[in-house]
Amino acid sequence: MSGERTIERLNLQLRVQHFALMVSVTLLILTGVALLYRDSAFGRFLIALEGGFEARGTIHRVAAGLLIATAFYHVLYILFSRQGHEEFMQMLVRAQDFKDYGAALLYDLGLRAEKPQLDRYSYREKFQYWAFALFVVIMIISGLILWFHNWFFGLFPKWAFDVALAVHSGTGTLILIVLTLWHLYIVHLSPGRFPVDWSFWDGKISEKQLREEHPLEYKRLKEKGLL
Amino acid sequence: MKRLIVLLGIMGSLIVSSWPSFSQRDPNARCLLECHGKPDFKREVVPGQFKSLYVDYEQLKVSVHKEKLCVDCHTDVTAIPHQRRPEQIHCLQCHYQGNVVGAPVRERPEKYKESVHGKAFERGDPNAPDCKSCHTVHAVRPPTDPLSPVYKANIPKTCGGCHIEIYTEYVESVHGQALRNNVLESAVCSDCHREHDLFPPDDPRSSLHPQNVANTCARCHSDVKIMERRGVPVKQVEAFKKSFHGIAIEFGILKSANCTSCHGYHKILSSRDPRSPIHPLNLAQTCGQCHPNASDNVARGRFHIIPSDPEAGIVFWVSQFFKWLTISVLIGLFLHIAIDLYGRFRRAGGTSHE
Repeated sequence: MSGERTIERLNLQLRVQHFALMVSVTLLILTGVALLYRDSAFGRFLIALEGGFEARGTIHRVAAGLLIATAFYHVLYILFSRQGHEEFMQMLVRAQDFKDYGAALLYDLGLRAEKPQLDRYSYREKFQYWAFALFVVIMIISGLILWFHNWFFGLFPKWAFDVALAVHSGTGTLILIVLTLWHLYIVHLSPGRFPVDWSFWDGKISEKQLREEHPLEYKRLKEKGLL
Repeated sequence: MKRLIVLLGIMGSLIVSSWPSFSQRDPNARCLLECHGKPDFKREVVPGQFKSLYVDYEQLKVSVHKEKLCVDCHTDVTAIPHQRRPEQIHCLQCHYQGNVVGAPVRERPEKYKESVHGKAFERGDPNAPDCKSCHTVHAVRPPTDPLSPVYKANIPKTCGGCHIEIYTEYVESVHGQALRNNVLESAVCSDCHREHDLFPPDDPRSSLHPQNVANTCARCHSDVKIMERRGVPVKQVEAFKKSFHGIAIEFGILKSANCTSCHGYHKILSSRDPRSPIHPLNLAQTCGQCHPNASDNVARGRFHIIPSDPEAGIVFWVSQFFKWLTISVLIGLFLHIAIDLYGRFRRAGGTSHE
């Protein structure tokens, strides 16, 4: 079996959406963390790197615009594109995902002999996807309240803005943690993947990887004679 | 001739019991006896207009300068009687850092020269104050003396001598009211504007430059002891610095609100006072100065909140939720990584069940 990356796991649509998400979220985190840690040397360095305090804010809002556009496009993609809709249906959480996660932990701990048989999207991808979907919705709502506070002043009481700020910074920190310790660890940083898995760029993985990480999908494709 | 004058002086002293109040052995006697000790000693400035040159020596003898000779300050008087009109005296000739005569140097008097007052004086503004405008001429008393014009309780009146409108605003403020009730730790003009280094608020050196206002207020309003005694909350400045406005100001966005933008300055009033810009009924208008859509909604919520402080109410609970959620997620994800690495390590070590 070939270790060469020949199988297209992510189509161009997904790659472009992922790329826009990656760029915008990276910029948002860098500019957000700069503000959150403004009192430390690290924060001051980031602010200087981003061209000063006001430029930092501008970059944050431009990146936010890109994120909102990407999110909006993604919703249209899963609603109106057959391809997107099919991908999305496979993303829905099922009871099997929880069983798989438990089984994977037991397997790692040596309390279970066989590896759980994962499909195209397993608990690992689904946790990523749904956690970020929720995060993005929370960040967009709280961020827009803060961005357009002058408009929302006529609508919300003062405490709503304080809550929006607490939610925005709290969720932002959470995103940074989940992004590094779950998404980046699983995809890029874990042994065998480090330092970078190029599938985010060309969408391709090897047959070996497909068989090991997504055996159910591998079997299905094999039966259909698509490999 | 001189003897005659001395004789006349002695005779005068017998006639007017209160005068002269100095002994003839006093080294200043020559200045006083012949000229400046006489209440009607004067000079014709322009025809028909006189300027009194009388020096109330009793005032000098109870002043901080009681040990000084007239010529210690009037250094250009080298012969008595002097022929020329003495120049303006220079207080800074003694009151500078490191002087050897022991002249106290509090609050950096040399900064006067750079101040708004010093600059105006330099330009020749006839209304510009110099040292004597606040400290008096011969009757200089220490600032701790209740009779001194620079005694804390007298400062508003002293400044108000020129700044009359501001004085009338100040006396109505919480600070002015407290001072009237003998609360000496209340703020007077110099607590915010400083004494000698008074700069216009657009000067970064000014204690009232937008970036310095919070720290100026903090000198008292972050002092736990003073604020507890006065029953005023003490975390306001700290909370401001963590707020949108405080952060923006810190990073040089000067149009952002500072303390005075909402609280006013000379006429600062309690939020319970219906005249106050921070009275709940006036908040919409106050916030509306910068945020045009501000409605009465802005009064619904606490101000000056610190998210980690239970007093922040709902914001405290939201922050606590995120704090514990973040800690749990962090532990959970590290645990997940540890288990994953352990699994890989175990399988690589040959004990795999595969």
